Amino acid sequence: MREIAELSDKTITIERNEFLKVKGSIDTNVYYVESGSLRIFVSDDYEEQTIRFGYKENLIVSLDSFLTGKPSVFFIQAIKKTVVKVITKSQMDNFLKSEPNSVLWTKILENLVLQQMEREIDILTNSPKERYLRVLKRSPQLFQEIPHRHIANYLRMSAETLSRLKKS
Amino acid sequence: MQSEKLIQSLIEQTRQIINQVERLKNCDLHTLTWRENQSSWNILECLEHLNLYGDFYLPEIENKIKNAGTKHEAEFKSGFLGNYFAKSMLPKDRLNKMKTFKDKNPLRDELDHVVVMDRFIHQQIRLLELLNLSENVSLNKVKIRTSISRLIKLKLGDTFQFLINHIIRHLKQIDRIQEEMKNAGQASF
Repeated sequence: MREIAELSDKTITIERNEFLKVKGSIDTNVYYVESGSLRIFVSDDYEEQTIRFGYKENLIVSLDSFLTGKPSVFFIQAIKKTVVKVITKSQMDNFLKSEPNSVLWTKILENLVLQQMEREIDILTNSPKERYLRVLKRSPQLFQEIPHRHIANYLRMSAETLSRLKKS
Repeated sequence: MQSEKLIQSLIEQTRQIINQVERLKNCDLHTLTWRENQSSWNILECLEHLNLYGDFYLPEIENKIKNAGTKHEAEFKSGFLGNYFAKSMLPKDRLNKMKTFKDKNPLRDELDHVVVMDRFIHQQIRLLELLNLSENVSLNKVKIRTSISRLIKLKLGDTFQFLINHIIRHLKQIDRIQEEMKNAGQASF
């Protein structure tokens, strides 16, 4: 990841609740989170559904825009004051010209596919308790970094349900 | 102009607008309600003025987009009047004062700062939804009646531009209020 972060020549600071990206924009940048935390969410008819989180030392990207150059429905919002390094699509393209870099990037994408599969199983799991335990086991750090109302949304349950499950 | 370019630029402007007002949420009530003189607006009143416009235009635009029988068009051509209105909204370096219609003047309304700012952010999220939806319709053929007169209608593309320029105008005014407050030695404590 460091190799990719070092490509950046631009740093952005956003305050809590500010948006790095909104629905419908074309954003082909990759962001490396230096500090703080962000969430990616979609909204329909004014209801928000959190899809992923990013915190310190993560890469965060609207992968659909990055790959296709087309508009993406994702919002990316800071959960608290956040500093990101911006890596542009052309910086990435340059970087990927070399074989070892391309291998590294493939590894990152493979890892992402595995994460997405876990996430798919999360969403298809009926029992709220089961969903909670899966995520807790997979990413204990999440519960340190992210306010629990956002985690509840990510787990598709009310904040009250999550709080009950944590106690049980 | 390409329709997609216009919409992309309006979406980005809306993102910056949301971020500016999110930052205002950190101001204390003293800053939010400070006014330079008896007849000038404070920050909350600027935002509420924008909310009153949003109350009029957003349902109007939504209704017209959802009932439009038109298809997406690659090119958007600004109308004569629409272009004039949109441009006239943009703030100049020196403040060009404009008159506010009475029903859009929030001066001396009792404003709850949390409600005003949340309402504003919600309206911008809704505006983003409408900008997204507008990609299925013609920015030229869909016409929106104005708040000035139901006889004066503007193209959807011009209405979006007008609405967003109007917001930018008053956010600049908010910047100026904060400047003036500093100069008056009343910085927030």
